[in-house]
Amino acid sequence: MNAAQDQRPWGALSDLPGHPMMWVLILTEVVTFGILLMTFAVAGAIHPAVFEAGRAQLDPVLGGINTLVLITSGWLAALAVEARTGERRKTARLLLGGVMLFGGAFIAIKVVEYIAKAQAGIGIETDTFFTLYFLITGFHLLHVLLGIVFLAVVTVSDSLENLKTGTAFWHMIDLVWIIIYPLVYLIG
Amino acid sequence: MTQFLARQVTLVWCILIFLTLVSLIATHSGMSGVLANGLILSAAFAKGHWMLMDFLKLREAPAGWTATFHVWLTLVTLAPWAIAAFPLFRG
Repeated sequence: MNAAQDQRPWGALSDLPGHPMMWVLILTEVVTFGILLMTFAVAGAIHPAVFEAGRAQLDPVLGGINTLVLITSGWLAALAVEARTGERRKTARLLLGGVMLFGGAFIAIKVVEYIAKAQAGIGIETDTFFTLYFLITGFHLLHVLLGIVFLAVVTVSDSLENLKTGTAFWHMIDLVWIIIYPLVYLIG
Repeated sequence: MTQFLARQVTLVWCILIFLTLVSLIATHSGMSGVLANGLILSAAFAKGHWMLMDFLKLREAPAGWTATFHVWLTLVTLAPWAIAAFPLFRG
């Protein structure tokens, strides 16, 4: 290993905030979600009537509230990093607690949405729209759960590097949702 | 500096909330079709841009990373719009 590699063992990933391994995960996730979203768009073009009927059964207001919840959690996460940068550790921890609370609210709203669908007799095998709806939103929901676990870990082990790493994953979850929301709930 | 960055992320948060409400109102006002889809997906692109630059802090990263994430963002917002609009362009 030469001197340059010694200083930058992760190459270009070293230029990103947080641990480079987290960015490997983030890049993998955005590519995976990208493929899922493209699949959704193409399937919508092949079965426009099925997708129009499916979208009519969704509640865009609940999806919109969840978008506002995640955006606000992302804002608190960014403020937590700023607070930790300014050596205000207690403030940073409180802000991370807020992020996790909003994450919990997102999960609760999503569960309400899933229960409403189940009560209407809608499941993953109903049609192509709902197979992809449950696949994409369910996969995203698992990431929200994982994100809360990461945030809990970095709240305890709260070095600036750890905070940047944990919040980077959270912002990725946020970023993916702001594309899922219009694509699945709004456009048609 | 930290105070300035906190103000910057708060301003971005306000913009993101505003753009989300615009998308929701556009849908509820009965807007539909290629133009409405374009407006909603443009708002999603703008939100993604500000999230990448100010929440994920890519503003401070090399241009290559910023470009990579913006290419992804363009693909996931432009492609669904183009796919939905394709039958119209074909006539």
